[in-house]
Amino acid sequence: MQHSEERDYFTDYSVLKDPYEYFESMRDRGGVYRSTVRDLIMVTGFEEAVEVFRNTEDFSSVIAPQGPALPLPFEPEGKDITAQVEAHRTEFLGGDMLVAYDGQQHKYSRSILNRLFTPSRLKANEEFIEAYSEQIVKEMVAKGGCELINEVATPFVTLVIADLLGVPDEDRDHFREVIDNAPPPGNMETEGDGGFDENSPLVIMGTYFYQYVMDRRENPREDILSELANATYPDGSTPDPLEIVRLATFLFGAGQDTSAKLLGNALRRIAEDAELQGRLRADPKLIPAFIEEVLRIEGSTKMTARLAIRDTTIGGMPVPVGTRVMIAIAAANRDPQRWESPAEFDIDRPRLREHLAFSRGAHTCAGAPLARVEVRIILEHLLANTSSIELDEEKHGPEGNRELDYEASFIIRGLSELHLKLTA
Amino acid sequence: MPLITIERLDGSTQPLEVDPDGTLMEAIRDAGCEELLALCGGCLSCATCHVYVDPAFADRLPPMSDDEDALLDGLDNRGPDSRLSCQVRLDAGCEGMTVRLVETG
Repeated sequence: MQHSEERDYFTDYSVLKDPYEYFESMRDRGGVYRSTVRDLIMVTGFEEAVEVFRNTEDFSSVIAPQGPALPLPFEPEGKDITAQVEAHRTEFLGGDMLVAYDGQQHKYSRSILNRLFTPSRLKANEEFIEAYSEQIVKEMVAKGGCELINEVATPFVTLVIADLLGVPDEDRDHFREVIDNAPPPGNMETEGDGGFDENSPLVIMGTYFYQYVMDRRENPREDILSELANATYPDGSTPDPLEIVRLATFLFGAGQDTSAKLLGNALRRIAEDAELQGRLRADPKLIPAFIEEVLRIEGSTKMTARLAIRDTTIGGMPVPVGTRVMIAIAAANRDPQRWESPAEFDIDRPRLREHLAFSRGAHTCAGAPLARVEVRIILEHLLANTSSIELDEEKHGPEGNRELDYEASFIIRGLSELHLKLTA
Repeated sequence: MPLITIERLDGSTQPLEVDPDGTLMEAIRDAGCEELLALCGGCLSCATCHVYVDPAFADRLPPMSDDEDALLDGLDNRGPDSRLSCQVRLDAGCEGMTVRLVETG
């Protein structure tokens, strides 16, 4: 069969602007196919994506942070490259981050992290989210509008994580400053060397967290940092302090762009759909379902990646050991085989929360419950305190001819700026 | 590793070795039982890893937290033997236990 020409997902600007149109143009190749412009296999089908996510036996997550486009730091040898992956793990960009872990190390780290996002823990965090949302929303409404992403969303999600982890008040401003100045993950402009040098926020925050962990191990208090610092693995052993530091700093990195951009994607939709906006304002109980549908149709993570560590298959297609696999979440969440009229926005879809915006299986986003809570609460405040939320046409142009600038990332789907007019 | 039996939604049964360092949810999920959705990945937020455990072994399992209890209360198929499998770790004393999977959608 003759297919339309494949554009390069990683460098083509039209793909960045509208990844959904791009994936639809590739849909006739099936739910899994070999790319003709990159040395990788693309997974765009819902079933096929779930299959890969659940197959931790044959796929490693080691390439999740650096993406599937970069070559491996070694030449795969033999039928099983598990040992090679572990031997070279630190040579993968972000290979020592939680999203990149495999097997027992991953299971152990998750066992510590999962305790942070339980309902009772989130309840305590919710008080902070409520209070901060109320304050910032009132401030923005009073001045008639805001640039949502940098002025509201980014500091909001950063301080929420800081509160969740119990970062002392006096250090929070510094954390925010450091993060504000960092590029997003999967930056297309610095493909390959999206650096983790001594000035990167993860490294700076790591220094702080190392001090917290050492201090709380010596002088435990009644706070979350003490609990985290003194947590043990399922076998009773104590994690290396650096492992706790990696987990804590990872939460900032992971919770930062994704949640802020999700809020941006949600608000762009609210601002551009007056009927939907009215419906949500009149009945805030619909907000959770609205968020789920935003996650499905325009979640903030477009793709992730896996490496075949053994010969395996996806949807019946043979995948040889050493193959890099791109899982296009943005495509799977609009797979017509799984979703009826997938391009339509419909908050009443059956089994909606089974979308893959937070992935599935062992690596399901641990912060998903937090993302849902924080986005819901700030949306509640924004809707309750306004009679209308609109795009600022001076900045974004008139309806039908919008100028919206998306972050130059092959991982993140989100606006770099969203100027809103807020009318009380 | 305790060897248990899981009863699938279609009525079939299969043996399952459970790593005591992992959770029951992880063991069932990694065995490829797709009816166990486990949407939240084990952080006690979605209740889609709901199972019925063998009452004969109930006292060998870790106690139920208030969070787990509250989440189970939100399900319409909660029974006397309901647990969220992400909160359950099994020790050697659970050898021979049966776990029944339930509709989690």
